[in-house]
Amino acid sequence: MKILLIEDDRPLSQQIARALRDQNFAVDIAMDGEDARHMGETEAYDVAILDLGLPKVPGAAVLRAWRQAGRHLPVLVLTARDGWSDKVDGFKAGADDYLTKPFRIEELIMRLRALVRRSTGHAAPRIVCGALAFDAQTGAFELDGLPIRLTAFEWRVLECLILHKNVVVERLALADKVYEGDAGTDSNSLEVIVGRLRRKVGRDAIETVRGRGYRLVCGTGE
Amino acid sequence: MKRPASLAGRLLAVAALSITVALLVTGIVIGLLLHHVLQRTIDERLDTQIVFLASMLRADTAGRLSLIGNADGPPFDIPGRGWYWQVRGPLNVLKARALRDKTLDVLDLPLPRLPLPLPGPLPPAGPPPRPADGPGPDGDHLYFRIKSVLVDGIPVEIVATAPRAAVRDPLVNALMLLGLCLGILELVLLFAILLQVRLGLRPLARLRTAIADVRAGRQERLPADQPTEVQPLTKELNALLAQNAATLERARGHVANLAHGLKTPLATLALALSRGEAEPRELAPLVDVMERRIRHHLGRARAAALAGPVRARTVIAPRLEALGAVLSKVHAERAITLTVEVPAEAAVACEQQDFDEIAGNLLENAFSWARTTVSVQTLADNRRLTVVIDDDGPGLQPTEVERVLRPGQRMDEEAPGFGFGLSITRELVSLYGGALDFNRAPLGGLRVLLTLPSADGV
Repeated sequence: MKILLIEDDRPLSQQIARALRDQNFAVDIAMDGEDARHMGETEAYDVAILDLGLPKVPGAAVLRAWRQAGRHLPVLVLTARDGWSDKVDGFKAGADDYLTKPFRIEELIMRLRALVRRSTGHAAPRIVCGALAFDAQTGAFELDGLPIRLTAFEWRVLECLILHKNVVVERLALADKVYEGDAGTDSNSLEVIVGRLRRKVGRDAIETVRGRGYRLVCGTGE
Repeated sequence: MKRPASLAGRLLAVAALSITVALLVTGIVIGLLLHHVLQRTIDERLDTQIVFLASMLRADTAGRLSLIGNADGPPFDIPGRGWYWQVRGPLNVLKARALRDKTLDVLDLPLPRLPLPLPGPLPPAGPPPRPADGPGPDGDHLYFRIKSVLVDGIPVEIVATAPRAAVRDPLVNALMLLGLCLGILELVLLFAILLQVRLGLRPLARLRTAIADVRAGRQERLPADQPTEVQPLTKELNALLAQNAATLERARGHVANLAHGLKTPLATLALALSRGEAEPRELAPLVDVMERRIRHHLGRARAAALAGPVRARTVIAPRLEALGAVLSKVHAERAITLTVEVPAEAAVACEQQDFDEIAGNLLENAFSWARTTVSVQTLADNRRLTVVIDDDGPGLQPTEVERVLRPGQRMDEEAPGFGFGLSITRELVSLYGGALDFNRAPLGGLRVLLTLPSADGV
């Protein structure tokens, strides 16, 4: 899961990013409205956290620009303005959820997970694929009822695959969701990560579709 | 025409216009009078000559005319100046020596254009001579007085002339002098008015510096010793200043309260952090308390800014729809059905932001507690509008109602929006002269009755 975090207050954005990475999320940070608009329009994110009071371009304008450009990624607005009129304006600009500062990081993470889960078409928080189960509320994976330990990269790949279970996920799209904007891809190439994952969740669970990408196979009925 | 922008400019323009018109009229009237007087002087001189000639005329038995004595006294004695006389009988013509060999042709002369006759006594002897304008013997422009008389029974025509210039030249000279005098008068008057306007508007300039003093903080309020016309203005301004000061005072009070409310949890937080053994679990409630205090005081500050009657108008249906859309999105997980049955034209006398705050808090509360359904409808009488918000949640016991309206009370730490939000809501509602009532909803949960003055109330 890859998140675009737009927050101009450096200490706060660092704190949030650290907490999100602890949850295995990939995080790109934009410090002003201009960068935010550009990044949101050119790169693929699962969800964006948008502060409304931004330098250069206000948050609501960024949001409107994305929506006009046809970017439908879920957006959680983060702001100090907690009046209902502000909330109405935020949602009219295209927000999907709203959190006022100060907030608890747990609540932010919970809402981000819910947004991503709903945007990928899963109504229930528990997603099952064969012997594998994913709790979209906590981000925990289970295999045959037992928790599995995953590295951040492994978690990102497996989360993306299970949210799109039984569907081929393009290699490039998967790489987009796994690597942060400035991270190198050499040491943890997708093939290596997928190889390690197969050892943990079963060799046949992840299918390589030659020339296209990967698919999480759930067996019959799921 | 562009209207002058300044007050002084307007006053000056009006004064200049009216003075100019008055002086022009004066000039014209004086000019006409002068013309009359000059004309009359000439008339009298010529008529005297005619009477003098008539008295000296004699006719012999054959009817030939002759003069006894010399009629060529000044100004009829110099040739070529236009002062002439001539007497014509049936047989011969007598004329001034100044005419030399020429004669005056008086047949079919046009009447001169004369100013209106002045009221005054008619000349004593018979009808006055008739006036006429015409060319003289040298082609110059002459003024004629012509009289027909009988001399010893013989009809005789006596003519006396004067140059037209004898009237025109003095008139032109006099008018030029008059124009000069009137022009100077106009300038003097305008200068006087300029001074008057400057002096008259000086209190405004003083008022401006007084206001600048207030703005710069050198003065608390405007001085009361103002001219009668300016006094109501300064009174209003002082009232405005006082009102602003009061609002500022209230705002300061809120900031002070807020600071006070924040410092205690901050102190606890600092202490816990300095011990270095702070458990995040212990600290989170402190942050919570601080956040709720900020919300509370922001709401109060907003409420306190409302002073006096409100003339706002908010059509509620679109606001309720917008708020409902927000809450449906926020609570998308729980798939709560919201029905809003509100007449499209229903409006309350309440600012939109405040209505959003009131209705938003109440709706959020309903959404937090509802199991499946929230419904909004209205009841209206002619002065007030009641918004009825029902949910199918657990509802409230009468004793609980008392508690939730007290600031800071929350029914459940996990369900947000209850507590401070509700007490602020009630405060806002009462500021607008409305009411908040709680009841049991037909759906089984809580029914909130929000009553506000209607914007269309009579």
